[in-house]
Amino acid sequence: MRLTSSAADPLWYKDAIIYELHVRSFFDGNGDGIGDFQGLLQHLDYIQDLGVTCLWLLPFFASPLRDDGYDVADFRRIHPDYGTLEDFQTFLAAAHDRGMQVVIELTLNHTSDRHAWFQRARGAPPGSAERDYYVWSDTDQKFKGARVIFVDTEPSNWSWDAEAGAYYWHRFFSHQPDLNYDNPRVLEEILGVLDFWLSMGVDGLRLDAVPYLVEREGTSCENLPETHAVIRSIRRHIDAHYANRMLLAEANQVPADVRAYFGDGDECHMAYHFPLMPRLFMAIHLEDSTPIMEVLAQTPSIPDVCQWALFLRNHDELTLEMVTDEERDYMYLAYTADPEARLNLGIRRRLAPLLGNDRRRIELMTALLFSLPGTPIIYYGDELGMGDNIQLGDRHGVRTPMQWSDDRSGGFSTAPPEQLYSPVITDPVYGYQSVNVASQQDDPASLLRWMKNMVGLRNLFRVFGRGSIELLRPKNGKVIAHVRRFEEDVILCVANLSRLAQPVELDLSVFAGLTPIEMLGYTAFPTIANSPYFLTLGPYGFYWFELQQREP
Amino acid sequence: MASTGSSSSSANRERDQAASDSDLVVGIATYNHARTAGRLVETIRAALTQIAPSSRARILVADGGSKDGTREWIREAASGDGDLVELSYAVQPGDVLDVPYHGLPGRARALRVLLREAQARKARACLVLDAFATAVEPDWIARLSDPIRDQDVDFIVPSYSRHPFEGALVHGAVYPMFRALYGARLRSPMGSEFACSPRLIEAVLSDPIWESESGQAGIDLWMAATAVSGGFRIAQVPFGPKVTDERNELDLSTTIVQVFGFLFSDMERRVQVWHRIRGSRLVTRFGEAPQDVPGQPEVDVERLAESFRLGCRELQGVWTEVLPPLATLQWRRLAAARLEEFRVEDVLWARTVYDFAMGHRLRVIARDHLLRSLAPLYLAWLASFVLELRHATPEAAEERIERLCLAFEAEKPYLISMWRWPERFRPVKIRR
Repeated sequence: MRLTSSAADPLWYKDAIIYELHVRSFFDGNGDGIGDFQGLLQHLDYIQDLGVTCLWLLPFFASPLRDDGYDVADFRRIHPDYGTLEDFQTFLAAAHDRGMQVVIELTLNHTSDRHAWFQRARGAPPGSAERDYYVWSDTDQKFKGARVIFVDTEPSNWSWDAEAGAYYWHRFFSHQPDLNYDNPRVLEEILGVLDFWLSMGVDGLRLDAVPYLVEREGTSCENLPETHAVIRSIRRHIDAHYANRMLLAEANQVPADVRAYFGDGDECHMAYHFPLMPRLFMAIHLEDSTPIMEVLAQTPSIPDVCQWALFLRNHDELTLEMVTDEERDYMYLAYTADPEARLNLGIRRRLAPLLGNDRRRIELMTALLFSLPGTPIIYYGDELGMGDNIQLGDRHGVRTPMQWSDDRSGGFSTAPPEQLYSPVITDPVYGYQSVNVASQQDDPASLLRWMKNMVGLRNLFRVFGRGSIELLRPKNGKVIAHVRRFEEDVILCVANLSRLAQPVELDLSVFAGLTPIEMLGYTAFPTIANSPYFLTLGPYGFYWFELQQREP
Repeated sequence: MASTGSSSSSANRERDQAASDSDLVVGIATYNHARTAGRLVETIRAALTQIAPSSRARILVADGGSKDGTREWIREAASGDGDLVELSYAVQPGDVLDVPYHGLPGRARALRVLLREAQARKARACLVLDAFATAVEPDWIARLSDPIRDQDVDFIVPSYSRHPFEGALVHGAVYPMFRALYGARLRSPMGSEFACSPRLIEAVLSDPIWESESGQAGIDLWMAATAVSGGFRIAQVPFGPKVTDERNELDLSTTIVQVFGFLFSDMERRVQVWHRIRGSRLVTRFGEAPQDVPGQPEVDVERLAESFRLGCRELQGVWTEVLPPLATLQWRRLAAARLEEFRVEDVLWARTVYDFAMGHRLRVIARDHLLRSLAPLYLAWLASFVLELRHATPEAAEERIERLCLAFEAEKPYLISMWRWPERFRPVKIRR
């Protein structure tokens, strides 16, 4: 019998709005300067009040924390900084009580070099099953077709292990050896980990770095058929034992390659739409809809039960791996006045600083995120317009403590400030004294209140998560317009990417006789006729319309 | 579920099981209804004999542990007839202390027991009647159950003939708002009597509402909202005046807390439904409305107006938490008006109810406190309604209620716009 889930609808992830957070960064419940599950539990009401329906937690497992938890030392233990397994279970039940689903990380591509599997492997005889949990070689010249991802820190995908007397394979940091999926025991181990969390009630798993599971000579070692076979095995296991769970693929690839991670609806339920995100930023900077139109045109269709995960910002750098060299140069010029903001092939900034802290741009980008086909993800703090600190190294600058109030340390912790896992943002523009939850909750015109309303509005209409999209092509390229349809709902979305007011003429003749109702204020606009429909949009303005058949 | 009494004997049980498919079950929930329940059971028995002598009909009685001999009276009325099925439901101490507006402690639990039994018996129709009804006409049972059994109706409610001044909370607020929200002109959306189909029973029994606290008071409204918003076929049957032995002595503000508290909470659950509904549609009516309308009750309008004026003095601080400034000024102006000028415009009343729905949703103050403060405003509306209609014919009164409903429908965009973008309308106090 399959274990049921907290969600009644098997397609719950299509209607979700996901809130991504790091337990460490959210709230410190025990006063030691580090966020924990007790703290998260205390602020679940805030998340519920925001209206999001799903939480995605960054890794919270036992780890030396050399890659913020993506270097897992024990998949079944909670890092003591964050609490206990019981704390996690209490949090999970509380989230479910509030009608929210919970997605956690499964870093199945690699472990920490402190993981017992690796410690055992390095001392095991070559060729033994224990040794073969990881990928070893006598030479660092194998798999030369595989690119190095962390170009700023890693010269090679191979590192020498003196104890083993061999090189081991790693696609990310050298302290993160890749697991060897050619060894069937590895998959068995990972399925055991998966069972541990899913049987506890976790609703979804984010499959970290999923394109890199298997290596083959003469290939890029990405997106290989053998990798997809592993994913299908995982999916079969889940479908056989659990109901209404979700797998989310982290595959930073071109759309055609990402499409493969959905399979025929028999691999992952969701995958990030990586190429879309940088093009949203390009479009608003260029004041031109072309980058968005192009990437949407290149986006392949996916099985009915699958869904894109959309985001503007997350815990990593704004990745520019999936753009052309010229586009990358443009993005660096447009968005990184400070070279310190660049990291690997990306930009380590939060949403508000990227957009010049321009409220209208933030609103427009959020409206685009919410109106395009997929499930949107909000990164913690972006609902407030939190800033970053690019001096903190790696991606730590976008993982600073949540700013709850203008109290010491932004209300994040009662510990002395020097004891915090990370300094809070204190600059005059984005510092916790001016950007915090408490003040924005009191301010009816705050970004937080605006976000809450937008989240609530999007939750009202399943068309955004489930509907089809038709791109309109207005002559004014500074304006992007599209129609979403699902069941009886027909929604017209129009957005002005320019900093100046723009007119637009739309061919809506197919909707002649329908009345556009502006969705935020429920205001009726003139009924559509067979002639062009004229609209004027303010700077960075947008409209969402329900197209309704009105009584005469 | 306990099943005791006349049908609990093994012989009867075997017979019941052998004929488990009942065409019709008529359910009554009782709790100290000795004065009426026996008579009601007699009437039902007589009716069942007349309308469906060959059908397999059962009378289900769910009792909450009556201490006044209710069950004995019922058994006597049933004369040992095997058609009676005795059930029980739990009345908890809190139910008795906090009696719902419909007067039956633990009503939701009772209803659940009845519906489950109907489902277990695969009844083609389940009819639920009030135990305190003292004058049930035998043909009512057929008129309520036939459309379910023969015409694929899923939910049908009686619409009793009442003077407009009676049950004005329903005419003046619950019905117009329910109709505007869900688009169905169902005159008694919170009536405790109805008949329903197996399809609807299956849908409602799978809902978690039965376990919730709020469901205890608002279960009837919830049943109607579920039927109307869930794609079920609904209908109503006009009846003559309802004669009851109802002893509901709840004060108005508590009734408002219960009724509107549930209606407003239910709005949050069904938000995706009512945001899409525009206008309203007629609900199929089986039978003609009787001509006999009860006489006009005495209403002390001056007392109503004075209660409003007192509320206006005492509750301004609460009202300004939810009402926009213009509405506050209009209510203030009304408080200063002489009785002959005492009129509440439909738009003001509709928007005020909607403003309270928003205040409830946003929890601007404690919900109970907020809802109680609606009582004086309702009394003002009632005073205005009575003043306007005291010399009106029944037809004119009906037209007046229809105009009020249309105002609620016309103002629905106001509610939707506030719901979607609340802070534009909500006064906010900045904490210092």
